[in-house]
Amino acid sequence: MKILNCPLNGPRNIQEFVWGGEVTEMPDPNRCTVAEWGDYVFLENNTRGVIREWWCHAATNYWFIAERDTSTDEILKTYPAGEVFTVRTDFEVPEEDSKG
Amino acid sequence: MTTSHRLPEPFGLYIDRSRTLGFDFEGRHYSGLAGDSLGSALAANGVKMVSRSFKYHRPRGFLTFAGLDCNSYVQFGDEPNVQADRLVLTDGLSASALNVSGSLENDRDAYLGHFSRFLPVGFYYKTFFRPKGAWAYWEKIIRRKAGLGNVDKKTPHGYYDKAYLFADVCVIGGGPAGLSAALEAGKTGAEVILIDEEARLGGSLNYAFGAGGQERASKLAAELAKFDNVTVLNPALCTGWFADNWLAVIQGNRLYKLRAKQVVLASGSVEQPMVFRNNDLPGVILGSAVQRMIRLYGVRPGSRAVVCTGNDHGYRVAQDLRDAGVEVVAITDLRNEEAKCVEAGALAAQGLRILSGHTVYEAIPERGKRGISGAVIDSITGEGEVSGSGETLACDLIVTSVGYAPLAQLMCHCGGRMKYSDALHAFELDERPKDAFFAGSVDNGFDLEAALAEGAQSGWSAAKTAGAKVGKEPAKPGAKGAEGINYPWPIFPHPEGKDFVDFDEDQTVKDVINAVADGFEDVELMKRYTTVGMGPSQGRNSALNSVRLTNKANGRGVSGSTTTTQRPPFKPESFGHLAGRSFDPERLTAMHHRHVEAGAQMMLAGAWYRPAYYGRKADRLACIEAEARNVRNNVGMIDVSTLGGLEVRGPDAAEFMNRMYTWAYKKQKVGRARYLLMSDQTGAVVDDGVACRFSEQEFYVTATTGGVDGVYRAMLRWNAEWRLKVDVANVTGAYAGFNIAGPNSRKVLEKLDCDMDLTAEGFPYMGVREGRIAGIPVRLLRVGFVGELGYEIHMPASCGEALWDLVMEAGAEFGIKPFGVEAQRLLRLEKGHIIIGQDTDGLTTPAEADMLWAVGKKKPFFIGKRSLDIMAEARPLERKLVGFTLPGDSPVPEECVLVIKGDRIVGRVTSAARSEACGGIVGMAYVAPEDAVPGKSFNIKLEDGAYIYATVASIPFYDPDGKRQEL
Amino acid sequence: MPLALLKYGLSKTYPARRHFPSESDLKSSYDIVIIGGGGHGLACAYYLAKDHGITNVAVLEKGWLAGGNTARNTAIIRSNYLTPEGVAFYDESVRLYQELANDFDMNLMYSERGHFTLAHTDAALRTARWRAEVNKHLGVSSRVVFPDEIKEICPEICLDDDVRFPVLGALYHPPGAIARHDAVAWGYARGAMERGVEIHQNTEVTGLEIEGGRVTGVKTTRGTVKAGRVMQATAGMSGTVSKMAGFKLPIRSIPLQACVSEPYKPVFDSIVVSGSLHIYISQSSRGEFVMGGSSDPYGLYSTRSTLDFKEGLMSHMLELFPFLSKVKVLRQWAGITDMTPDFSPIMGETPVENYYIDAGWGTWGFKATPVCGKRMSQTLATGKVPDILKPFALDRFERFHQVGEKGAASVGH
Repeated sequence: MKILNCPLNGPRNIQEFVWGGEVTEMPDPNRCTVAEWGDYVFLENNTRGVIREWWCHAATNYWFIAERDTSTDEILKTYPAGEVFTVRTDFEVPEEDSKG
Repeated sequence: MTTSHRLPEPFGLYIDRSRTLGFDFEGRHYSGLAGDSLGSALAANGVKMVSRSFKYHRPRGFLTFAGLDCNSYVQFGDEPNVQADRLVLTDGLSASALNVSGSLENDRDAYLGHFSRFLPVGFYYKTFFRPKGAWAYWEKIIRRKAGLGNVDKKTPHGYYDKAYLFADVCVIGGGPAGLSAALEAGKTGAEVILIDEEARLGGSLNYAFGAGGQERASKLAAELAKFDNVTVLNPALCTGWFADNWLAVIQGNRLYKLRAKQVVLASGSVEQPMVFRNNDLPGVILGSAVQRMIRLYGVRPGSRAVVCTGNDHGYRVAQDLRDAGVEVVAITDLRNEEAKCVEAGALAAQGLRILSGHTVYEAIPERGKRGISGAVIDSITGEGEVSGSGETLACDLIVTSVGYAPLAQLMCHCGGRMKYSDALHAFELDERPKDAFFAGSVDNGFDLEAALAEGAQSGWSAAKTAGAKVGKEPAKPGAKGAEGINYPWPIFPHPEGKDFVDFDEDQTVKDVINAVADGFEDVELMKRYTTVGMGPSQGRNSALNSVRLTNKANGRGVSGSTTTTQRPPFKPESFGHLAGRSFDPERLTAMHHRHVEAGAQMMLAGAWYRPAYYGRKADRLACIEAEARNVRNNVGMIDVSTLGGLEVRGPDAAEFMNRMYTWAYKKQKVGRARYLLMSDQTGAVVDDGVACRFSEQEFYVTATTGGVDGVYRAMLRWNAEWRLKVDVANVTGAYAGFNIAGPNSRKVLEKLDCDMDLTAEGFPYMGVREGRIAGIPVRLLRVGFVGELGYEIHMPASCGEALWDLVMEAGAEFGIKPFGVEAQRLLRLEKGHIIIGQDTDGLTTPAEADMLWAVGKKKPFFIGKRSLDIMAEARPLERKLVGFTLPGDSPVPEECVLVIKGDRIVGRVTSAARSEACGGIVGMAYVAPEDAVPGKSFNIKLEDGAYIYATVASIPFYDPDGKRQEL
Repeated sequence: MPLALLKYGLSKTYPARRHFPSESDLKSSYDIVIIGGGGHGLACAYYLAKDHGITNVAVLEKGWLAGGNTARNTAIIRSNYLTPEGVAFYDESVRLYQELANDFDMNLMYSERGHFTLAHTDAALRTARWRAEVNKHLGVSSRVVFPDEIKEICPEICLDDDVRFPVLGALYHPPGAIARHDAVAWGYARGAMERGVEIHQNTEVTGLEIEGGRVTGVKTTRGTVKAGRVMQATAGMSGTVSKMAGFKLPIRSIPLQACVSEPYKPVFDSIVVSGSLHIYISQSSRGEFVMGGSSDPYGLYSTRSTLDFKEGLMSHMLELFPFLSKVKVLRQWAGITDMTPDFSPIMGETPVENYYIDAGWGTWGFKATPVCGKRMSQTLATGKVPDILKPFALDRFERFHQVGEKGAASVGH
């Protein structure tokens, strides 16, 4: 059983965590093309190597980010999501739409 | 039978001669001694044959005498496949042979050995399949012949449990290297756990090094016992080594899960068999096995022995045999040069016949092959070749000593690898896992002093790496003594065959060679085709020789070749050990006991139990109907505690709700509830509920019983990205809740001490309030899943039962009765409310569920929005959920029967029931969009294949204007 | 004793018949190159030669033949799917399987055992009925059965109602079968080889040559070869290979673990699956119980085993079969599965011209081996995707048009 070091709860058995997939950036849903949105929703980098991914400590429901090598399962580091997502996300309707 | 094979003291370290134990094997009674294994007790009684082989039913005897082969497999009561040489003898123990037709002595399947030439490698691929269907006949026969022990279908689950252990340093193996490692690590004050399979520490010290070895083992063990920080776990077996030093250790009926900062693997090695004709018969045995018999159990393994050796160990073995009163007829040494060890000199001086450059070429079976009567010895003329002018020596024992294979399987479980070393003619550790050290013969360290020193250094280094304060580094080990241990080619194929490479699977030299000829040149492919290494001993005794043979036959050469991948467990683990005491959490609501008292039939809802209906199973439908009728006419009460409850609070609470759910919540008024629908990123409907706004910044959100954990997790996940000022708490377990519904529900509440205005004006439909009932703080929601005047009451779980009782008491005069999930399903169906997961599936969109009314059109974003927009633009709907009715004389279609158009499946019935309130059968179904118009009809195909015609009806079926719920 | 074995006993030398060629040089050019020498790749090669007479074909395998998921799956064959597209596809596979031994002149130990998908909740029972109804409508034998009937067919299943997860009913699929998984690949390999197809083991594809959006060649560790058409059939490595072709896939590579017990005398015949308990079990003709559960909880390319997999599996196994408590696990392993969002495979065209894909099998690629091989060979031979494969096109995701097999997929066997 691997140990995953939760930034909030410290090192715990990986069984206590839920995987959230690779960290990807949401394109602007109101401006991106259909293909870009489809890519975001369905397609996977599925990288064989070091990836940045979401993990949630199930007992505390704390989400954070880990860097892990998917070929060896080695976990390189973990840190709070706030280190990547530093600013508030807002969504806006493009101007031409909002008028109508 | 007498114990005539028992040796006097000092032989027999393990046995207690003062305690005699009676036991039965194959229906015969024997006696053994305390400390015996079943195997040693049988050997002490002169029993040589303990099993029959898998395929040819050839007699088999002891091979490793260390539980590392399956020649010693027996049936022990209801436990199949038990190793006799590991089974601790107890008084009255009874065991029998397995995989025999008749008895071990007279196995009717023994004739199969005569047909071996007709059973070539992979013979079962080559026949049994024509004509079509033939395999169905043959398989039955082959299945009966295959398999080893019998599984008793009456075996009880039994008690097994689990425990966790933690160590700075875990040492696996209590032989010289392991003992020394544990001692050195112990001296540093580190927490040390030493695991050994034997009841007595010492490993090879106890059997391979005479009295002096045993003395050293005792000394080391005694010294180790002085350290409080060292725990010895024995007899215990480490069966798996997983990521980050997570070890599976089985002791008794317990599975320990041990987390070690550092591991020292000192698991030793397993002596490898020779390959020659009849090398599998009882009486052909490994040198280390006879040493174990003699020293540990005081058993004389035979009377006349031929020793065949490829290293100096064979001479020690020969000396041990002589010490135990076994006549050694000759030693054949595979090597051309004379042995230089002290023992060889001594034996030669005593006049023992030693033949260099000679091998045992064949074992001569005694009548019935239940043992051997002689050995054909011959001079070696080339790799695996002999002169052909051999000599037969009478003997009842052939003891071989030609090398070892590391017991490094555990290391391979967590990423280590072994490869063949040309210099050593042995497998050696190649890639090694991190946070681990290796000592002793597992790392081809065969010199005793070097192994002890290597152990000490490993223990010291492991403790140091684990963070312990260490003293001076122990002395560096001397030469490992790895060279000259493994003879390069101890394989002497015989034209008549029966030269076994894998005893588990009855595979011989030609089977391996023929597999390569069939194209299975890679060792992994050879293994799968021949099944060499796939039997219960997992190649421990066959990997080395089969890799040598395969790589010779395929011309690649053995140099640098690897073993096949070694997988856990190291030795078989019982399901019971792995299962332990199955813990499946159950969740009970605060009112659970009231439901049980009221005779409810409970049903599973995730981890929860919910009342399905109240009454006997035989009266199911009548109960459901009566409960529904009581809600429609009087008042009913249903436990809704299992529904999810989430608190969404903060300045951005409404914005957050807008993003998580499809509808709009920014303008939702305080004190009001609003329906919730959630879609996922792909636009599929995944959950629903209601949002109650208790203040500008505070929503109380319900979710489905099965969905709440996922919803909560998704909310936190999204906000980890969005960084909105909002806090979400899952309060599902903190609140109990029940819904009181029916025309009399207000009257019931009014009877109670309630500090809220309950009038229709003061507390209208879809209103939400906080207040107290009978002093209990409650949240009151005027929502109506069942379509009657009703209140959902949420209260601290600790007060749930009390308030339930108060309401029941107050409602008695109005005819209040509890109702269950089944009645609720009927009532909501009459109102046309969907159940997520029943009326939707993994791909249903809001449009398909006909719920676009709950999707905000003007919001810039909600999860799934863009995907839904894309789908709406890309193509017309393919199905749509509608209400339908059926004529009263129709059968009620089962949920999930199909809706067929032409011959095409266009949808399915998701819900259907006979409704008293609606005066007929009502249901919901997915139909072709062009048919989703009230009045149109469509085809339902019933389970029996009959079609019925249903008519699309507008929903709700019951009280379409909603007057009853808005009273 | 069957007569077919006589020649082995009577001939002086072993009458060998190769399944795989010995190592040979790569040619400079092939009509078709198949990346991945697992069951699927080999089946495609076999049908290219047999059905279409195309033999200038190379199958390239980076390791040993059929050493990936073909060697690691638990050999269950069935067609009791949920979607009409899935049922039609797997039904054709079952039919092909039934003829395969004769085609190959090789016993695949194809054994119809009957397949139970147990339902412990009313929701699971509903899904069972849905599948049964779709199956029946499309001519596939499946039905919902209740404990009284389960007890008659497989009395070993614990049907007590005082356990944590009582069995309420099951989807029963009588044609559900097991087969010797390795042999399927070996049979295809031999059949393809004997018809002239080249099979190269230890030949890893390292890149693709693409000119003007069209694939023209394949780079390997043993040199570059020109290719008319190329198909990738690389399961867990699908994403890695597709990246060489320049496109991403809706696929996550996730380990799936399984284990076998020691061999025992026959205990029961049925294949038993429980979605709620996340377990499945059958007993092979060798007597080993073959068992597995749900996929691992996170993406990974390493085939390491875990202890928690076995613990969870056995905890639930003993709920259904308490009497197996003293039965022992002999070996556990993992394969890397290629999971799609809708639990349905991806077959057919890709954004690169002449480059085709066979991927996204998740946990059930073995059972599709014949039909996928046959239909992909048709695709490669003609350049046209047959109707039966069309619902599984890669571009269904950009069209937001998934195949809804998810409902039947809690445990994929």
